[in-house]
Amino acid sequence: MEFTRGGRPVPMGRLDRWVTFSTFGDAELVSLTGEIDLANAPEIGKAIVERIETAGKVLIDLTTVSFLDSAGVRLLDALVGDLDDHGKPTRLVVGKTGAARMTLQLCAFREDVLATDLDRAAAEIGS
Amino acid sequence: MSDSGGPDVTQDLRPPWDEDPDDLYEHAPCGYLTTLPDGTIVRVNQTFLSWTGYTRGELVGHRRFRDLLTSGGQIYHETHYAPLLSMQDEVHELAFDVVCSDGRHLPTLVNSVLSRAATGQPRAVRTTVFNATDRRQYEKELLLARQIAEASERRVRVLQQIVADLAAAPTEAEVAEAVVRAPESAFGAASSSIYLVDDERDVIYAVASTDPTTGNWDDMPRSSDRAVARVADRGDLHVVNSVTDAREHFPDLVDSMRRSGRTTVVLLPLTTGPTDEQAGIQTLGVLAFSFKGDRPLTDGELRVVRLLGQQAGQALDRARLYDELRRREERSKFLAETTRSLDELHRLLPRTRRVVDRVVPEIADWAELRLHVGTTPVVEDAGGPRPDEELLTQRLGKVAASGEPVFAVDGDQLDCSVLPLTARGLVLGTLALRMAPDRRGAAAERAFLIELADRAGLALENARLYEQERQIARTLQRSLLAGDLPSGDTRFAVETHYQAAAHDLEVGGDWFDAFLITRDKLAVVVGDVVGRGIEAATTMGQLRSAVRALASNATGPARLIEGLDRFVERVESARMATVAYVEIDLTGGEVAYSCAGHLPPLLQEPAGSPEYLMQGRSAPLGSKAGNRVRTEHRRRLPAGSRLLLYTDGLIERRTRPIDKGFELLAREYARRRDAPLQGLAATLADSLVGRDHSDDVCMLCLTLGTEERIERTIGADRMQIALLRADLRAWLVAHEVEPGCRDAVLLACSEAVANAIEHGYRDDPFGMIDVVATVTTDAVEVRVSDRGTWRGAVSDVARGRGLQLIRESMDQVLFDRSDGTTVTMRRAREVE
Repeated sequence: MEFTRGGRPVPMGRLDRWVTFSTFGDAELVSLTGEIDLANAPEIGKAIVERIETAGKVLIDLTTVSFLDSAGVRLLDALVGDLDDHGKPTRLVVGKTGAARMTLQLCAFREDVLATDLDRAAAEIGS
Repeated sequence: MSDSGGPDVTQDLRPPWDEDPDDLYEHAPCGYLTTLPDGTIVRVNQTFLSWTGYTRGELVGHRRFRDLLTSGGQIYHETHYAPLLSMQDEVHELAFDVVCSDGRHLPTLVNSVLSRAATGQPRAVRTTVFNATDRRQYEKELLLARQIAEASERRVRVLQQIVADLAAAPTEAEVAEAVVRAPESAFGAASSSIYLVDDERDVIYAVASTDPTTGNWDDMPRSSDRAVARVADRGDLHVVNSVTDAREHFPDLVDSMRRSGRTTVVLLPLTTGPTDEQAGIQTLGVLAFSFKGDRPLTDGELRVVRLLGQQAGQALDRARLYDELRRREERSKFLAETTRSLDELHRLLPRTRRVVDRVVPEIADWAELRLHVGTTPVVEDAGGPRPDEELLTQRLGKVAASGEPVFAVDGDQLDCSVLPLTARGLVLGTLALRMAPDRRGAAAERAFLIELADRAGLALENARLYEQERQIARTLQRSLLAGDLPSGDTRFAVETHYQAAAHDLEVGGDWFDAFLITRDKLAVVVGDVVGRGIEAATTMGQLRSAVRALASNATGPARLIEGLDRFVERVESARMATVAYVEIDLTGGEVAYSCAGHLPPLLQEPAGSPEYLMQGRSAPLGSKAGNRVRTEHRRRLPAGSRLLLYTDGLIERRTRPIDKGFELLAREYARRRDAPLQGLAATLADSLVGRDHSDDVCMLCLTLGTEERIERTIGADRMQIALLRADLRAWLVAHEVEPGCRDAVLLACSEAVANAIEHGYRDDPFGMIDVVATVTTDAVEVRVSDRGTWRGAVSDVARGRGLQLIRESMDQVLFDRSDGTTVTMRRAREVE
């Protein structure tokens, strides 16, 4: 047994610390939480791609993300681009302020895929 | 003899009647021949003619002496007789077979004299021929008698050797090996095989043969019609003299006799018991041997054969007793060793595994142990192949329900014995096994298996109880150690780490705690209770509560330890527990500490080397012999000081003196003075004890106050960025930097570190990155430097975005690439 308070990074096997999956209406809902950075973005990306391959519509909820770096932006950029190419409607749900919103704004992320509210995002993609 | 042919005497005696010299010549008791030098017969007497059946006319002038000899005789005549005669003028007692007129051979002894003319020329040969028929017969008989005597002597020697071998043969197999060779060397048998009677299974089985290509080696019931079984049943020697004989009495022999060209087969029961009476005789086996061609055995030989049967039988009997004794010894040794080896392991699963590993391959070629404890049954198996699942499941169910063992019997389709594993009257599970084929003696074996199952059952029940207790102790310990520690106060931060000993030891008595006594007074404590297991865990909990209760009333660490001394008088299990207790005044930065038998806390001030706090020391709680005057020591610590409390598992090693342990800890601690607090305790434990530690390790690290300037050094590892960010975030929060500015600084700093890792140290996983941040009322400034290699303009789009983020989020950014890369970034604080 070993437990460290605060402690060292959780092993990559414990991805559910950062990403969980559910459905919202007929859309696949990807909920991200905590700090998304260079250390965990590649693994998270892999898990998401596996999950949404068969999805028709995708909602990515970033409202509880406390930190987002360029690796996280790279991941979101690739996801949105890929979904777009396949004609699958998608929205990122991001709070009006906060770390994630700041990073996306600084990167000049496509405003048309951003939403501030999950219900509205779902409505926008007809879900 | 002289030329005249007369006796060489000095004076003739006169016989009582007149001897006619002619008659004497013709009817002398020997044959006379006179021949020319070339051997042509010129004169022959009647005696010779009567013996050979020739007429005088057939011989005289027509035949040479040599013509009358056998072809072998003619050669001998040429090579010996003729040369000897011409050299010595006479030859004596040469043996020739004369071929008679009817073709008969007449054994003779021949003497010849060559007479010469005055000139020395050979003139005539005179030959006497003695009938040697009888003499030859005697010789033959003598020779035969000698051969018989020799054969008998050889047989006796062989048998003596076998008896000696038998006496030295301690096992059935060795007895069989010694006996099976006997017929060949003693009687010249072509091949032989040996069969043994198995009383338990009521069968006769073949064990050894000098020619395994012949015969039928299947086990046979004792009641079988086969020759071996019949002879074993009768207990008396049987000789089969021909295939016809075999067909009449033992048809099963006919085929193999025909195939291997045997005509004589001897079936000898190997018996023990009194030789004089038939009643007490027991047949232990059968020796079968056979001859190619007719081989009548003399009475003498048959006596010897019977003797061999008795000797071998007795040796077998002895070997069986010895075998039995040895097996009994082996079994009890196996049981004792099993118990001991199970004792070495405490936990349930390893013990279960060990039972199976003990059984296979030593006594079984396949075994499976099932335990019906907990929610999912424990199943361990070894060896193979697995028996029929359906039959096995049936038998397992039967045994589990009845609690009675079921043993494999002959003709059992499953061929597996299943034993219940019981403890205190409950069936815990089952042990199924298929015995190795050489395990015999079923009754003794059954008792042995039952004993084995009993021991295994007890050991597994104990392991199960241990497991249960261990689980309770763990849960208890977890709930105590993982309880709420104070956080969110920017005046201090606490980091703790606990790691249990490797090797599945019981829960130890190491513990830590941190709590706020008042809004401005923090207490941290690390202790170690004597013993392990559930009692240690319980005591730890009581002691922890006592510390919390006493802290709110007592005034300072020394009084608190005194209180614990009184507590120990009531809670005996806490006696000799050690405690390091520290109180921190969060407003003034003063700490007061006291150590009751515990290792000294290690202090690292922002400047200087680490220092062990050696004051305020006294004996463990409730110590009877030690110094129980409880003292405390106070000192002021500057902001940014770090204090480490720990238990002995961190520094004590059997392989090094404790001084070395202290030295090593201080050095490692100093090396990490700039490392983020998060994960510090764990990495310290890693480098000091590693994974293979034999004791629990419990650590508590406390950082005091807010540094004006934060300095951190991290390795070029993506994982460490989050740790750095946590420290930096806490520091920014402590300095009440506005959220917008804080997020921007965190982002820029993370990107700069990521850049150093991905570019500067692309080829160097051991590179280090320094981060320094300062804050003023106007701005936050961060400097990130690495000593990696700069590779010119960034072509990587991703990193390009990182650099863009740094530029976008900060007001001023400066790159200096003179020695590695140093990024200096500044962000103005938001005006409220």
